[in-house]
Amino acid sequence: MNLFGFALGNLYRRPARSSLTIAAISLGVASIVALTSIAWGFEASWQRANDARGTDLIVTRLASENAMPSPFLADKLQATLKGYPHVQEVVGLLSEMLSVGDNAPPVFVFGWEYRSYLWQHLRLIDGHLPANDTDADIVLGSLAAELLHKKVGDSVEIEGRQFLIRGIFDSPAVVENGAVVMTLTLAQQITDKPGKVNILNIKLDDHASDSVIDDFKTRVRETLPGYLAITSGELVRKNAVVRISKAMSNATTLIASLVGALVVFNTMLMSINERTREIGLLLALGWQRQTIVKLIVSESVVLSLAGGLAGILIGIAIAGGLEHVELMRGKIEAVFSMPFLIAILGLSVVLGVAGGLYPALKAARMLPSQALRQE
Amino acid sequence: MVRIENVALHFDDGKTTALNGISATVEEGEFVAIVGPSGCGKSSLLNVIGTLERPTTGEVYFRCQPYSNIADASLFRRQHFGFIFQSFHLIPTLSALDNVVVATIGCPGPAREHTQRARQLLAQLGLRDRIDHFPRTMSGGERQRVAIARALINNPDLILADEPTGSLDSVSTEQVLGVISEIRQQRGISIVVVTHDPEVSGRADRVVSMRDGKIEPGKEYRQ
Repeated sequence: MNLFGFALGNLYRRPARSSLTIAAISLGVASIVALTSIAWGFEASWQRANDARGTDLIVTRLASENAMPSPFLADKLQATLKGYPHVQEVVGLLSEMLSVGDNAPPVFVFGWEYRSYLWQHLRLIDGHLPANDTDADIVLGSLAAELLHKKVGDSVEIEGRQFLIRGIFDSPAVVENGAVVMTLTLAQQITDKPGKVNILNIKLDDHASDSVIDDFKTRVRETLPGYLAITSGELVRKNAVVRISKAMSNATTLIASLVGALVVFNTMLMSINERTREIGLLLALGWQRQTIVKLIVSESVVLSLAGGLAGILIGIAIAGGLEHVELMRGKIEAVFSMPFLIAILGLSVVLGVAGGLYPALKAARMLPSQALRQE
Repeated sequence: MVRIENVALHFDDGKTTALNGISATVEEGEFVAIVGPSGCGKSSLLNVIGTLERPTTGEVYFRCQPYSNIADASLFRRQHFGFIFQSFHLIPTLSALDNVVVATIGCPGPAREHTQRARQLLAQLGLRDRIDHFPRTMSGGERQRVAIARALINNPDLILADEPTGSLDSVSTEQVLGVISEIRQQRGISIVVVTHDPEVSGRADRVVSMRDGKIEPGKEYRQ
């Protein structure tokens, strides 16, 4: 038996308290993992959608903070931007969250300019892309098809109008997989926003360097008041929903950490109060005070690490479950990274040390003769 | 080995006096019994010798080293003293073996060697078959022998025993006293025992009688 084995034994001999402490910590850690992974996933998914489309820059309304910026009339602006150096394509995009069919959860409906480069990254699983700009044809992301229980050749009703499903596709981005895609003209018609887009996607030629991108941004800022040119990453980070979800996950992390540390603190304080005589005995046997500190802190770290590990597993399960809730499917995805999970374990160790340090120091300061007399 | 010079020990801001100007010595290899009525300061004196209590005034020397100069009392205890208590103070959730090994945690050397030594000690004390048993399944005499093994595991120079037979029946008392005598003969360890039991004090080299925090003059005798 060594110090660590003794610490484990001390936790094992109080199974109810140890289990409850681990459960409390794991719930806190699970909420951190689930919320953070979804906040990151939300950001990553929109970023991936923009990247997959091959967009180099996005022009949008300066003050818009929505997930999809407020619509604006595009024609004149589009023509101006096409005249900028190195610009290959300027493509309008309109998006709306709409109910599709009866009793189905709302889905993203994207309107993309017919035959623009935006369509090129879609991998068709079945059927075809819309054949022209005006027929009431749509394509569905694979998740949307699953959610709506539709296949190629079926029709769906959107905003009181029937649409024929021409194809089903796969995209690298969950938000697209869970979406309906139609031509921009149709999207403008059904949302009653003729000539309007949320963003203009700019594709530059192969010779465009970083300085070209910077020049483009500067030129938009200086010559097109009220508009802004940004990269897709900047657009996502500017997104109010992304910022709110990140703020929520940060707040959850802070609150869960404080609660976790308090739970460990309370458990260890109760534990040493119950074990006063035992600690007195160990001191009488010649245990040095730092060994007592190591023992108590080891116990608290083991508790919080176990809670951290369990919390990570529960958090992954919760986030995975949320991804499959019908209302959320195709709109959120959880992103887990190994550095994040390691950081969570690191946070668990910090919680253990923070929660266990005061009880440990209190135990180490006991006078052995008094502690041995305690009933 | 131990020299106590004019030691006083007060509690509650001086309202309670446990020791009142005690001076005494313990020689190398000597077995000293401290006797006296309850509350006379016997256990307090043992605690002061064992560095579990700091005297309010006076000084204690161990092999000429003053206690007031000891930087780490825990380490000093581990290096020089072994404690035996009336109520055994075994940890109920540890086996007999682990109750002995627990005293070696934090000591230099591999844990494997400490465990081996604990096994040997328990075997020497007649507990070879009880090594994996827990205190609740052992008799009082067996528990006290485990406590003796724990006191011996770090090779102390001085055993400090507080009523070691106080919770034992006559058979167990005889067993434990036999063990203590054997240890003394084999290892030459000094022993200071606080006791009410004439059986125990009868085996000591010297008996010191205490009353009201003082050594009773004229009542210290050699046997």
